[in-house]
Amino acid sequence: MVAYHHLLVHFPIALWTTAALMILWRALSDGALAQAAGRLLTPLLALSIVTGFIAYVVGLSVFPFETLTSSPLGRNHLTAATWALAYWIVVLVTSWRLGEAVWIGVRRWIMLGLGALGGILLTVTGALGGHLSGSPSAVSQIFRLLGWEVYTTFYVPNFMLVLLIVSALALIGLGVAGRDRR
Amino acid sequence: MKQFQLNASIAIFVLVLLLSWVFHGTGVVENDVQRNIYIPETLTIPLQVKAAYNGDMMFFRYRWPAKEPHIYHDMLKFQDGKWERYGKSVAGPQPQGIYEDRVAMLVDDGSVPEFEKYGGYITVGDRMRFFTNEATKEEVEAHPYLGKKKEQEEVGKHLPETRANIADWASVVPEAQLDAQRKAGYFLDLWHWRAHRSSPIGKSDDQVIAEARYGDAGKGPFFDNWDKDAKRPKLMFDPDKLGKVGKVALAWDDIAQRKLGFDDLYYLREDQAKPYDPNYAWKNGDTLPRRVLRPGEGSRADISVQGKARWQDGYWEVSLVRKMDTGHPLDDKAFVDNRVYTVAFSVHRDAFGSRWHYVSLPQRLGLNRQADFQAVRFTGAEPAWDQDWRSVTLFYPGQVSWPILNSARHAGAENIKKGIPVRQRHSEIQLAHYGVEMEFYDAIRRQWQYTLLAGVLLITGFGVAVNLLLVRKEN
Repeated sequence: MVAYHHLLVHFPIALWTTAALMILWRALSDGALAQAAGRLLTPLLALSIVTGFIAYVVGLSVFPFETLTSSPLGRNHLTAATWALAYWIVVLVTSWRLGEAVWIGVRRWIMLGLGALGGILLTVTGALGGHLSGSPSAVSQIFRLLGWEVYTTFYVPNFMLVLLIVSALALIGLGVAGRDRR
Repeated sequence: MKQFQLNASIAIFVLVLLLSWVFHGTGVVENDVQRNIYIPETLTIPLQVKAAYNGDMMFFRYRWPAKEPHIYHDMLKFQDGKWERYGKSVAGPQPQGIYEDRVAMLVDDGSVPEFEKYGGYITVGDRMRFFTNEATKEEVEAHPYLGKKKEQEEVGKHLPETRANIADWASVVPEAQLDAQRKAGYFLDLWHWRAHRSSPIGKSDDQVIAEARYGDAGKGPFFDNWDKDAKRPKLMFDPDKLGKVGKVALAWDDIAQRKLGFDDLYYLREDQAKPYDPNYAWKNGDTLPRRVLRPGEGSRADISVQGKARWQDGYWEVSLVRKMDTGHPLDDKAFVDNRVYTVAFSVHRDAFGSRWHYVSLPQRLGLNRQADFQAVRFTGAEPAWDQDWRSVTLFYPGQVSWPILNSARHAGAENIKKGIPVRQRHSEIQLAHYGVEMEFYDAIRRQWQYTLLAGVLLITGFGVAVNLLLVRKEN
C-alpha cells in the first residue's frame, strides 16, 4: 500500500497548498481575481478533505498499526496527519458557513492565520512522510532549530494534557456563550 | 462582548499551542535505576581511528574525548572491620566515579554476514544484562548449557544463530552446532581495552562473541582479588616488591579525590602482591584493588598496548597491537593483506559501565582494499601514524535488541529481511533517540496517544468557537 499512499498524498498536498495560497491572496486582496479565488475556496477544501481522508486511511494500512505506532517518526507522522486533517476540516467548515463574509473585516486575518497554521501542519506531515519513506529533507533542521527533534515522539506531559482538554472545553464554552441567539 | 470572546478564543488557542511546543517531550523520560534506566546527558560522541600493519603485526589507534580519565576500578575499602566494595557495574555512572574507561572493537572477516550490515545490534539478544527485563542470575545459572556448563551468570552479547529463536535467550542450539559454527568462523573477535584492567601493564583483553561473550582461551590479564568464603581480599601489596616500605594498601582519600595519576600506583600487579594478612593492623580507609593484573597467557593475551595509553587535554589516545594471524582461529580473526574486514567500536567513559556505552555502526576496514577506511602498510616495527584519522560517530544505543528489530515493533524489519544495511536508513543521532525512546516504550506510546487525542479536541474546540463567534445573524 505504500506506493498508493505516495500516489494519493499528492492530492491533499497540492490542494491544501493551493488553498493556503488562495487564503493568503484573498486576505491581502479584494481584486476580482482574488475574489474569484475566494469563492473557489470551499469546493477546493471539500475536495482536499476527501482526498486527504482517503490518503490518511490508505496510509494507516502501509504498516500494521503496532509497527506504525512503535516508531517515533511513525507516531509523529500520524499525529501531524491527524491534526492537519482535523484542522483543514475546521477551515472548510468555517469557509462553508461564512461564505464571502469570511473575508470581511477582522475575519480575513483570522482566515489568514488559519491558512498559515494549516500550511505549517501540512509541511510537518509531508516532511515526516519523507523521513519515513527514506527521503529525509532539510525541513526537519528547521524543526530542530525551533526545539523539536523529529526523531523523538511529540507528546506533552500530563499537566499539558489537562490544559489542552480544559482549553478545548473553554473554547467551546466561549463559542456557545458568545454566539448570536436567534 | 463577542469580540472579547473571539479574541479570548484565539489567545487561548495560540497560547496552548505555544505551551505544547515548549513542554513537549517532557514528563516521561526520567532516570530510574531500579529499572536499569539511566540516560546519558550526551547521546553521541566522536571517535577517531587509524589502522596500520606491517605484514606481521596489526595496529589500531583510537582517540576520543573525555572530560577526565577514569582509571580506577572495583576497589575494596576497609571500614569498621569489613571490606566494602566500590566500583562494581551499576545502572548509570558509578557514584564514586570508580569505573574504568574502555574502548572495544568487534572484528569480522565476513563469516558473520549480518554484522557488516547491522554491526553490534546483532549481538544484543533477548533479556540482556542490565536491560529493564534482564534475565535473573538464577535463571541464567539454571540454564543447562550457559549456566551449568559455561558458568554464565547473565545474558551477554551473543550471535543470532546461536539461538533457535532469537527472541528467547535460553534457546541455545545444540552444542555440536555451536562447535561447528565456531569452526566455520561464526564468531566476532573482540578487542577490549580497559583503563584499569590491564592497561597499566600494557595489556588489553582479547575476547570472543559467539553464544556468549567469552575470554579467549588461556589466562586473562586480570583476576578477582576476593575470597568469597573469608569475605576479604586474597592479595595485598607487597612493600618489598614495590620498593616503598610500609605500603600494603592504597588510601581511600587518594582514590576518592582522584589524587593518583597514570604514573602513580593505583593498581595491583600479581608480581607486586603477596597473600593477604588478616593480622595486619588494617585501618579505616585502607584500600585494595579488587582486580589483580597479570600478563595473561595464550590466546587471551594476544593484544598489547603499543606505547602508553594516556588521557591528555581532554582526549584519550590508545594504541593496540596484535599479530595479524595469532594462530588461534577459533578465537581471533586473522588479518590478511588485500582483504576487507568489518569493525565496530564502542567507548565507555564518565564512569559508566556495562550497556552504558557509545557504539558505532559497522565500518569496513581495507587492507590494501577500498573500504570506509584503510589500514596503512608500513615497514619496520612501529607505524608512523601519519595518515588521517577516520572519524566515526558513536551513539548511545539504549535498549534496542535484535529481536525487537526483527519484530512487528520495527518498521524496518522487512528491510532487515531484505538485507538493507542500517546505514542506508538511519543516522547515528536517529538511532540514539530511538534507543532512548525504546527504554520508555509503553509510557511514551501512551502519552503520545493522549496527546494526539487532546490535540484533536483542541482543534475541534477552536473550530466550534471560531464558527459560533464569527457567524452573525445577518449571515
